[in-house]
Amino acid sequence: MAKFIKHDFFYPNPPEEVWEYLTNPELMALWLMKSDFKPIVGHEFQFVTNPKAELLFDGIFRCKVLEVVPFKKLVYSWRFGEADGLLHDSVVNWTLSPKDDGTQLELIHNGFEKEAYALPMFASMETGWLKHITKILHLLNPVSDGTKPA
Amino acid sequence: MEPNRLDIFQVIADPSRRQILYLLSKDSSTINSLAENFDMSRPAVSKHIKVLYNAGFIAIQDIGRERHCILKQDGFKELHEWLEYFDAFWGSKLSKLEALLIEKNKSTKK
Repeated sequence: MAKFIKHDFFYPNPPEEVWEYLTNPELMALWLMKSDFKPIVGHEFQFVTNPKAELLFDGIFRCKVLEVVPFKKLVYSWRFGEADGLLHDSVVNWTLSPKDDGTQLELIHNGFEKEAYALPMFASMETGWLKHITKILHLLNPVSDGTKPA
Repeated sequence: MEPNRLDIFQVIADPSRRQILYLLSKDSSTINSLAENFDMSRPAVSKHIKVLYNAGFIAIQDIGRERHCILKQDGFKELHEWLEYFDAFWGSKLSKLEALLIEKNKSTKK
C-alpha cells in the first residue's frame, strides 16, 4: 500500500509548549528551518534550506497550511523539487497527544505521488524500508535516554 | 536532439509506461510481445520503452534478432533516495527539537 514516513517522539513538555515549537517561526528556525509560517488554514509559506543538486532539489519546500487544531493537530502540504523543473506533492501531518507528563508527537509525511506507489515493484521495497527506520530509531535512542552530557 | 531526461515521477505518471513495468515485473519480454498488449503502434511502444530505459527502469538485451526488456531496480532508486532523505531529515530535526525541549523543561522546572 501507500508509502509514508512516520516518526514518533515523546517530549517531557506539555502539548502547548511543543505546539509553540511547531508553529512559531522563530522557534521553528531553531530546530527545523527558516520559514514564513502562520498557523492559519490556507496560508502559503516556504521553508528554506540548502539545495541538493543530486536530488534535483532547489532548497525550497513550498507549503500550504491545510489543518490547524491548536495543541492537537497541524497539517501542511509540502512540495519539493525544482521551480524550473518538476515539483512533487506530499503532506506533513503533526499530531500531539498529552501523555505521562509530556507530549507524544507523531509525524507522518505522506502523499508522495500516489501513482508511483501503485506500482507492484514498490511492495518489494517495504522490507528494506522498515529496516532503515529501525536503524534510525536505534541511532536516535541513545540521545533520548539521558546519557547525553547536560 | 535527445529529449530531456524525464523526472522519475513523470516517467511513472504515464499509464502505458506503468503497464509496461507491470508486465515486465511478471516476466522479461521482447518489444514485439510487449507491443501486443497495447492498441498503439509498435514505434509508440518503442518510444515508451526508450523513456523507461533512459530512466533506468529497464535494461535491453539483444538475444538473437530480438530485443529483450528486463526490469531494473535503478529507476526506483531516485524515489527511494527521496524517502530515505526525508526519513533521515525528520529524524535529525526531531532529535534537535528534543534537545531544545528538554533544555527548556529543565529551565522551567528550576
